[in-house]
Amino acid sequence: MSNAPEADLNTKSISIRNIGVTFKSEASDAVEALCPIDLEIPAGEFVALVGPSGCGKSTLLNVLAGFIPPSVGTALVGDDKISKPDIDHGMVFQDYALFPWLNVLDNVAFGLERQGVGRDEREARALENLDLVGLKDFAGKRVHELSGGMKQRVAIARVFATDPSIILMDEPFGALDALTRRFLQHQLLAIWQRNRKTVVFVTHSVQEAVYLASRAIVMTARPGRIKLDQKIELAHPRDFSAADFRAYEKLIYDQLDEELAKTFNLEGSGGTFRD
Amino acid sequence: MTRAKTAAQILPYIYAAGAIIIVWQAVVTFTNAHVALLPPPLLTAKTFIDLAISGQLFIHIGASLGRVVSAWILSVLVAVPLGLAIGRWRRVEKIVDPVIELFRPISPLAWIPLAILWFGIGESGKIFIIFIATFFPILLNTVAGVKGVDPVLIRAGQVLGCDTDRALFTKVILPAAMPTIVVGLRISFGTGWAAIIAAELVAARVGLGYLIADGMEILRSDLVLVGMITIGILGVLIDAAFRILNNRFAWGS
Repeated sequence: MSNAPEADLNTKSISIRNIGVTFKSEASDAVEALCPIDLEIPAGEFVALVGPSGCGKSTLLNVLAGFIPPSVGTALVGDDKISKPDIDHGMVFQDYALFPWLNVLDNVAFGLERQGVGRDEREARALENLDLVGLKDFAGKRVHELSGGMKQRVAIARVFATDPSIILMDEPFGALDALTRRFLQHQLLAIWQRNRKTVVFVTHSVQEAVYLASRAIVMTARPGRIKLDQKIELAHPRDFSAADFRAYEKLIYDQLDEELAKTFNLEGSGGTFRD
Repeated sequence: MTRAKTAAQILPYIYAAGAIIIVWQAVVTFTNAHVALLPPPLLTAKTFIDLAISGQLFIHIGASLGRVVSAWILSVLVAVPLGLAIGRWRRVEKIVDPVIELFRPISPLAWIPLAILWFGIGESGKIFIIFIATFFPILLNTVAGVKGVDPVLIRAGQVLGCDTDRALFTKVILPAAMPTIVVGLRISFGTGWAAIIAAELVAARVGLGYLIADGMEILRSDLVLVGMITIGILGVLIDAAFRILNNRFAWGS
């Protein structure tokens, strides 16, 4: 494998057209989680979704994954409407979601098996992807023998193994300590630069968003809508302490602070928030 | 498992057996109990060995084990699929759950009269009693196992290509629920084994329950004790075998 992007890359655009989500429950009034929003994400873009808790960014991700149907609007991957979960739309979860009854190799090979890939090729490709995250030597380990950071690296290998056209990441590094997090950001970026999948990455960390993303989207407090849509034009590897890095961080924080103020005022007056 | 570890696990049982024998002998000595009421350990041991040598003991064990195993397998075949359905589909749960809750508190003993009326005094009546005793632990653990599957694992399965209900079931839900189901299998074999006495009260001519009931009728308490001790020892051994199976499914969490 070379470092240059390959010609037959599987990566697709995402079109979010007037997507809104309203949760209805028997007990209380309908809650609007997501205002109808429009968003065009070209193929190969790394988009970070940032916003206060309960802003609907996870809701949006769940719509893109096909887990919940939008109340209004349509979402497309390439030209295909998203209607249900699909192996072509990969996902990385905050709490890893590895299958504890399988070893590391079989976790990474799980999707390949579903795709009908034969045993030998499956194992070869799983090992190849484990190698990308530096865990080739752990292929035979059980999941519970791994640390949190290693589990998430296995989950990243698992999602890249099936070669999906888009990858959705729901606060993937949120549960990790700062140093592990830094290492994983670096590793993810290295893999992404190689295959340029379209990534939608939900995070609470502004620094993480500016470090990883080619575009940062700030969302408002519930009901969520897009407050800031900012391209991040910095060359990789990015330097946390550089002035222009800081400038992007400030730009995002200024927008976020307004939303956080709204959130906390509401909470003070008895409003409740869920993510 | 290392030899030292095995020894460390068996040792408490040997201590317990020793303590029981000492107390037993002390009671016999100090109360001067009649041999028909409480035979001394040595006499009981002799009866045990005699029965073992003549092969009769193993015939009883075989008969009882055969009944428990058949009833248990029957239970597994009915309770596991039903439990999977209840755990997975809310609609099935709504219909079946009240029925189960009504039947669950009824002891297997209460079924003996009906078992005799329905199945007569042959094998099927006995198997029916043990079936009742083994059914609920399997069912309830299977339901709990399915309901306890982490929803995020189901979602992970969905985005990794389990696009049918069947694929999701066999590839994610069943393996994820397996440790809890196996616990149910173990507990149910225990309750089934404990119910053997009740089952064999129904006109048995062979079996450990029969040995106990017969011992009582002919005033041979040593036979009663041999029956009880055999049930106890086999119960521990079977449970140990299931624990090994359990550990294979426990993923170390």
